[in-house]
Amino acid sequence: MKTKAILVDITKCIGCRNCEQACKEAHGFPAESEPVLSATALTVVEPRGDKFVRRMCMHCQDPACASACPVGALKKTAAGPVVYEAGKCIGCRYCMLACPFGVPRYEWTKLAPYVKKCDMCAAQVAKGGVPACVQACPTGASQFGDREELLAEAQKRILENPAYVRHIYGSEEVGGTSVFFLSDVPFEKLGFLAAPSNRPLPTLTAGALGDVPTVVLIGSSLLGGLYWFTERRRQVALAESREKHSTSDVDEERS
Amino acid sequence: MSGIRFPKITLWRVLVILIFAAGIYATYARFLQGFAASTNLSDTVPWGLWVGLGTLCGVGLSAGGFAVAAAAYILGFERYRPVVRAAVLVSFLGYLTVVVGMLYELGLPWRVWHPIVMWNRRSVLFEVAWCVMLYTTVLTLEFSPAILEKIPWKRIREQCLRWHHAVLIGLVLVGVVLSSLHQSFLGGLYLITQGKLDPLWYSPYIPSLFYLSAIPAGLAVTIMALYLSARSLNARFDLSILNEISRLMAPLLGIYALFRGIDLVTHGAVPYMFRWRSETGLFWLEIVLLVVVPLVLLSSEQVRSNPQWLYWTCALVVMGFMANRLNVSVTGLQASAGVHYVPKWTEMASTLAIIAAAVLAFRYAVLYLIIFPQAKQRWIVGAASGD
Repeated sequence: MKTKAILVDITKCIGCRNCEQACKEAHGFPAESEPVLSATALTVVEPRGDKFVRRMCMHCQDPACASACPVGALKKTAAGPVVYEAGKCIGCRYCMLACPFGVPRYEWTKLAPYVKKCDMCAAQVAKGGVPACVQACPTGASQFGDREELLAEAQKRILENPAYVRHIYGSEEVGGTSVFFLSDVPFEKLGFLAAPSNRPLPTLTAGALGDVPTVVLIGSSLLGGLYWFTERRRQVALAESREKHSTSDVDEERS
Repeated sequence: MSGIRFPKITLWRVLVILIFAAGIYATYARFLQGFAASTNLSDTVPWGLWVGLGTLCGVGLSAGGFAVAAAAYILGFERYRPVVRAAVLVSFLGYLTVVVGMLYELGLPWRVWHPIVMWNRRSVLFEVAWCVMLYTTVLTLEFSPAILEKIPWKRIREQCLRWHHAVLIGLVLVGVVLSSLHQSFLGGLYLITQGKLDPLWYSPYIPSLFYLSAIPAGLAVTIMALYLSARSLNARFDLSILNEISRLMAPLLGIYALFRGIDLVTHGAVPYMFRWRSETGLFWLEIVLLVVVPLVLLSSEQVRSNPQWLYWTCALVVMGFMANRLNVSVTGLQASAGVHYVPKWTEMASTLAIIAAAVLAFRYAVLYLIIFPQAKQRWIVGAASGD
């Protein structure tokens, strides 16, 4: 299967919140709308001036959360979605610290709390279906399809209509995502994070982790060498003192 | 403590009982009511005091064991031998507090073993988990002679001690490598917070900075523990060793300060050092406590040769170190989180109770085990003259 993605065209969003509702229904969450992402609201529509902005997991190409998770509970699938395997999670919450978009939520009130985030309805997508939120969108503001095709489509819209900001948010942020946004208002004004860089965040830790074998190898041989040196010096000192002792004994005998 | 006399009520005992009572309530709140009732953590502040103080400070301040053991066994600083066992004990108990604290901090603590079988080699936290696990085992083994020599059967005892003696150098060596790895990787955890962590603390070299600051801070804790053992627990050893260890601390702090300074300048954080904001204030607090005042004090022979002065100097280093770790894990992330996090009292209480338990354990170990060399006793493996 080709890698899938979601394209959100902010110019087309009317703020009906059908996507929110469909998402809550699909996950069996209580129906009332919430202002920000929560453990029971995996996508929300935020009003910004006269615009409406959908928030959800960006499904990064090389996700910081997946690299951070010590037990590999979070994974980027070939089909596009970043999925969470609850059975592995230990509840360390490092994914929440690592996510550049601040997306993952935690079930703080539960005694066995898990991480919650949008999984692009991975189970449906695997069966060739469409995510619940996209299916519920009456205006086509949210679209689902092959990642490359959606990028081309977004590009086409920007070229055909000069009203659009000339940037596809998500095309290069933190190395690219699988959720794209088009807008006619600068993204900063809509509360979009200026992403830290266009490099995938996991590359920041890869270097340090790559040093491990070197540190172990050089470190242990250096320490071993130092120990050998210390030990040798001690032996020599010991032998010398013994020698001195025995010669002085001899001297005493002579006198 | 003989007979069934009712223990005298002293200020310290009352304090300890209060700490444990609060700790027990906090434990109840955490495990039977959950995070929402026991912490002020939230989706924007997923890591708070338990990580900042319990884990980052706990591990960092326990660096003394590997540093002193390496000095005595690998670098041949023979004068350190009599205090190696005490230093290892401090570290061992320190790591135990981290492991216990981890059970509070994890959302699903009964899965704490998962990293053993579920691997993610791309995760810094995975490496930290493994190193802490292995190094806690190494510390247990390094400290084991203090228990083994209590085995009442002579042959088994001597066999155990002989085995231990055979692997000791190996243990120390592995301990140094493991410590070096995870002390720096604790800083490495924050490499991925680029754009979130304040520029005063974010640096691509944060792993090295964590490592360089942990060693002098660990030595400071060791000096404090040694001083308290001599003052309150009747441990008899040559106090001039404190002076000796402090001679090592000053250049280590100096190296850290130099490295930190160069780092701040090269990645353009200097303007942030002089802005009027709370982060900058806490940054200077950290620098003054961890580096400036201790370096001034340690440069004076009068301070170094006076155990009490030295004790307070080390206390400053420890406070400065804690300020640094809390700045990285809490303060430095506040602005980007947009939330002001103040730990709930139950977060404090549980951490404090765990630390108090470790302090008590240290006290009883010094009283009932042979932690310091005793007169007329052949000093056996573990902190022995490596005969």
